[in-house]
Amino acid sequence: MALAFERRLTRHWGDPEVVGLDGYLARGGYEGLRRAVSMTPEEIVEAVKASGLRGRGGAGFPTGMKWGFVPRDTGKPTYVVVNFDESEPGTCNNRELVEREPHRLLEGTAIAALAIGCTTAFIYVRGEYLWQALVLERAIREAYGGGFLGPRIAGSDRTVDIVVHRGAGAYICGEETALLNSLEGLRGQPRLRPPFPAVEGLYACPTVVNNVETLMNVPDIIVRGPEWFRELGTDKSPGTKMVTISGKVERPGNYEVPLGTPFRTVLEELAGGVLGGRALKAWTPGGSSTPLLTAEHVDIPLDYESLAAAGSMLGTAAIMVMDETDCIVDAAARMVRFYAVESCGKCTPCREGGWWATRVLDRLEAGFGRADDLPVVRDLGRNILFRAFCALADGTASVITSSLRHFADEYEEHVRLGRCPLGVPHLEEVAS
Amino acid sequence: MTDEPVTLTIDGKEITVPAQTLIIRAAEQLGIEIPRFCDHPFLEPAGACRQCYVEIEGQPKLATSCTVRVAPGMVVRTQETSELAREAQVANLEFLLLNHPLDCPVCDRGGECPLQDQALAFGPGESRYREAKRVYEKPIPLSPLVNLDRERCVLCARCTRFCDEISGDRFIELFERGAGERVSIAAGEDFRSPFSGNTIQICPVGALTSETYRFVARPFDLTSADGVCPHCSAGCNLRVDVRRGQVVRHLARDNAEVNDAWTCDKGRFAFRYPDDPARITTPLLRDRGLEPASFGEVLGWVADRCVGSRVAFLTGGRLLDEDYYALSKLARTVVGTNDLDHRRHEGGAVEVWAASRPMSVAYADVERAPAVLVVGLDAEQEVPILHLRLRKAARKGARITVVHPRRTRLHDVAAHVLCRPGEEASLLREAVRGAGPLASVVEELGAAGGAGVVLAGERCSSAGAEAALALARTAGARFGYVVRRANDRGALRAGVHPRLLPGGRAVDDPAGRAALAPLWGDALPSTPGRGRRAILEAAAAGELDVLFLIGIDPLTDLPDGALARRALENVPVKVVQSLELGDLEPFADAFLPAAAPVEKAGHVTTWEGRRQRVEPVRGPVGLSRPDWEILAGLAAAMGGDLGFETLDQLDAELERVLEAGLGTPDAGAVEPFVGPDPRGGEEAPTAADPGSLLLFTYPLLVDEGRLSARADELKAALQDPAFVEVHPDDAARLGLAEGAAALVTTEAGRAEVPVRLNEHLAPGTAFVPFNNPGLVAGTLLAGSFWIPAGLEPATVSRAREASA
Ligand SMILES: Cc1cc2nc3c(=O)[nH]c(=O)nc-3n(C[C@H](O)[C@H](O)[C@H](O)COP(=O)(O)O)c2cc1C
Ligand code: SF4
Ligand code: SF4
Ligand code: SF4
Ligand code: FES
Repeated sequence: MALAFERRLTRHWGDPEVVGLDGYLARGGYEGLRRAVSMTPEEIVEAVKASGLRGRGGAGFPTGMKWGFVPRDTGKPTYVVVNFDESEPGTCNNRELVEREPHRLLEGTAIAALAIGCTTAFIYVRGEYLWQALVLERAIREAYGGGFLGPRIAGSDRTVDIVVHRGAGAYICGEETALLNSLEGLRGQPRLRPPFPAVEGLYACPTVVNNVETLMNVPDIIVRGPEWFRELGTDKSPGTKMVTISGKVERPGNYEVPLGTPFRTVLEELAGGVLGGRALKAWTPGGSSTPLLTAEHVDIPLDYESLAAAGSMLGTAAIMVMDETDCIVDAAARMVRFYAVESCGKCTPCREGGWWATRVLDRLEAGFGRADDLPVVRDLGRNILFRAFCALADGTASVITSSLRHFADEYEEHVRLGRCPLGVPHLEEVAS
Repeated sequence: MTDEPVTLTIDGKEITVPAQTLIIRAAEQLGIEIPRFCDHPFLEPAGACRQCYVEIEGQPKLATSCTVRVAPGMVVRTQETSELAREAQVANLEFLLLNHPLDCPVCDRGGECPLQDQALAFGPGESRYREAKRVYEKPIPLSPLVNLDRERCVLCARCTRFCDEISGDRFIELFERGAGERVSIAAGEDFRSPFSGNTIQICPVGALTSETYRFVARPFDLTSADGVCPHCSAGCNLRVDVRRGQVVRHLARDNAEVNDAWTCDKGRFAFRYPDDPARITTPLLRDRGLEPASFGEVLGWVADRCVGSRVAFLTGGRLLDEDYYALSKLARTVVGTNDLDHRRHEGGAVEVWAASRPMSVAYADVERAPAVLVVGLDAEQEVPILHLRLRKAARKGARITVVHPRRTRLHDVAAHVLCRPGEEASLLREAVRGAGPLASVVEELGAAGGAGVVLAGERCSSAGAEAALALARTAGARFGYVVRRANDRGALRAGVHPRLLPGGRAVDDPAGRAALAPLWGDALPSTPGRGRRAILEAAAAGELDVLFLIGIDPLTDLPDGALARRALENVPVKVVQSLELGDLEPFADAFLPAAAPVEKAGHVTTWEGRRQRVEPVRGPVGLSRPDWEILAGLAAAMGGDLGFETLDQLDAELERVLEAGLGTPDAGAVEPFVGPDPRGGEEAPTAADPGSLLLFTYPLLVDEGRLSARADELKAALQDPAFVEVHPDDAARLGLAEGAAALVTTEAGRAEVPVRLNEHLAPGTAFVPFNNPGLVAGTLLAGSFWIPAGLEPATVSRAREASA
């Protein structure tokens, strides 16, 4: 299938003018906000509900429904918090979206604020994204100057302020409740739910947390309507999705595709196929936390339902491609190490299970595996999955269980040979 | 959210519980214990340890029973009936043990450790973990009282949640993340919270251990008894542990009505006094040089001197109800005097209230109150568990206002109105008229519809306490009078008071005497007796023959240091009944060895008026006897009869007097009366001389009190040498600087102490702790707890003296 569609989030990419306010305005920017100020909050929420927009941060929760949960009669302020922590391995589309068109995020955020009656929104920026934070700061200054932020936005009587807050380098702070803790100056550890953020979020006030990409879809939905939005994508996964493809491909990068586009199209048409024409071995569909798939799954459509049916998840649509020369045990060891290091430490299965798994996998890859390590690894996956406080640990478990599900032989080879069968050098940390 | 009770099934058993109940609690009610580490009934759910998995029908994932609340028709299967839940618990235990050092043989928690118990019960016999364990330096001191062994920590966050939610003293926190997460403290900081010991008790492993219990005992070495803390009127329920006859540990016993699961560090760590070498356990008689004598001999000697003589009794505040009752009856029916007193402070008419109305405010009322006014009380330092309840109330949304000369540790949850000591009464009266800084508080209390609470500390003076009672009545709020020492309230109730008989009847009220007549006879002395100050004055003036001191040292415990000394010098016979002689050694003519609190059965009454039973953990040491027995013996030696020979008989009579309403006046009888000590009702003088400040004092929690003898670790952790606190503006005016010595001069004495600046102190006042090392504040006082004082830099006074 040849991929031809009208690009949405990326339609101005490559146009340096659109980074600034004037360029953005010249291309129809802030039209959504202009319209939104004359709509009631209910109308905005209805439009987003009707569009079927689902959260792009990983879980795919319907955005309009999330906004609709925010109670309006508590007497407390409400908050919109933009999740720009983007730290899932393999994921970097939020970053490029912001770099290339920061005003679209501000516009989407301001519309979300109008929808839930919020006057102060926060953008929580991944600690390492210093440049992107500066881009945002600058855009925010421009937007204030242009009357799109601050008091009386877009000529209305509504106030929306946006505050940029930089994180300090913790993956867990992308989890929305840990993010809220961090924003409040507390330890970045997830909170017990319920209460959900929509009811008691930032400073115990009703709060909507949305991903950058989610919110950047909103201005078009307001301007062009929900029906237009549904013209691309599938019925249950409408719209387009940013896909970050990396690893062993010819042209890694961020691509916008209609949801439901088969992986093969992305791999072959957009990314130029597997590097050097080698054979595809494994791929993550949505970041390292989503269960690995194999060459068998190359025709799967990239949407929430199809990937769930295949035993994985769309996640952040961060596709990492491994070819025949890559060692699965090595890959698993690296990915598990990430989750072990990034574990916030709050709960036992994640903190201790990740620690244990890292050590066993490192040892296996280094050639010191024993036959009775494999049942341990298998148990580790089972004993961590869905047992932890938050979904971070499910990433740890997914790597283990999916790699074992598809590549048990390769694990056994490591034990049998006492070395990596592919000769992949084991991690430096283990060597030293 | 409805509040309808919810019916659910756990392991096939149906149970109905209030909505919002956590599954783990509902299971407990069925006698099903779900394993847990982070869960604690008095802390917010955390869901951190993941040990408490259960299966809930219809839910794809296992649930943590400590975080999920019940729902109608829910079907729960615990490890008892769900293989999946059991397997998950075993797997989680395996995780927890990966990095655990398993050094049980040298761990203080061994034998009473939830982790050890669970590992034994269903942990795998052998570990599958072959990698190196995480190691830390161990143990590291968090304070002189608390040690931390990070290798043993299961990171359940009970300790940090306690500090966050309960005490508000957030000294410890989890640091780092992942497997490197650990409990820690800011560099250079000490875990300086008067509630730190609670973290040791609730730590589910041996990660937090107590310096005082380090390598001291194993659970099977211990004999234990249910005690009540002897230190303050909070009435914390304790478990007292004895090893080979020595008290080695106090633990909190859970009692949701009183102390929840907590104690303060004084109650926990000041436990060595009964075994203090200074303790004397044989009767002594002066006639042969204060040498040991038999009880019979000493009692006979004392009895001879009491018959037909002018005798007065002063007591401390930490005897049992039974002891106070025996004394009250002895004084009235055998000695024939109303000259007896236990008080350090006078509350005027409010004492009648306190003596006659137990439980007018209970802890639960404080916790539920939407608005609370606290007057004349530094709860953290004086009644620490009440402080925790006030914090709990604040967490639930109560608006708390504190009227006090010094900002208290409630400052983060309460509004403070700083006033000069003695100024409380006028502020409160003004508020009743709808004016002044407290007017809105009266409105808040009124709006609480009977659920508002007014707490008056004993330090507000009788005028202040009476004004607080009047304010409570105006606002329709509950009123509580908060005395400080462990059984001050019991003493009041028993009538160890010059004007009050048991239950608050006035001695000069014929109806009151008549009510007691069936038990006490009809020859009770009917003129009000002398109070503390008047007794000492009479003694000093040679108007008394015998001064009987029970559990008190007037030289250090009272605000009359100089007068007490003159009293002791001028009264012919001084009888001391106590654990030891201390400063009274040169004065005592007879010594009667009393049993320590841990050696006595009986009751103590909390500040609320709740009577709590205590059990002895060991018998009286040496020849010492419970106070009531000594007093009954004295009655017999004087030819009288108190009418009881056993504790049971005494209790039956006391219960009849207190609980059957005998001697309890009706509500209308609470009329103001002028306290026998004229200064008690007086408002504080305003310092006329601009160079002088109004000096006030009260005991801080950890002071040099005798029950804190040998609590060295506690003192190292929480006690400072004496200081004088001054407002920075006053300090600037008087040339006083932080840390520099000041000379404090009053009409009664002078002392040199270092200055501390406190901007949260009522201007024009100065504060000294009552009995911290370096200053016995009683030597600066003349009968009341405040006095005008001159302050100047010690260098100036020294220079002046040198030149003179
Ligand atoms: C460990 C973890 C990390 C996460 N990191 C991010 C992140 O970096 N960015 C993000 O948008 N959502 C992240 N999420 C998902 C958020 O919790 C949340 O679902 C999302 O921000 C909601 O926004 P959306 O509805 O617009 O997707 C993370 C979740 C978990 C469990
Ligand atoms: S699974 Fe547990 S330890 Fe891991 S990040 Fe979430 S809360 Fe923290
Ligand atoms: S020190 Fe004890 S109470 Fe604190 S987190 Fe560790 S195990 Fe829990
Ligand atoms: S609060 Fe009072 S009763 Fe409780 S432990 Fe402390 S001193 Fe004892
Ligand atoms: S006891 Fe339930 S998670 Fe710790």
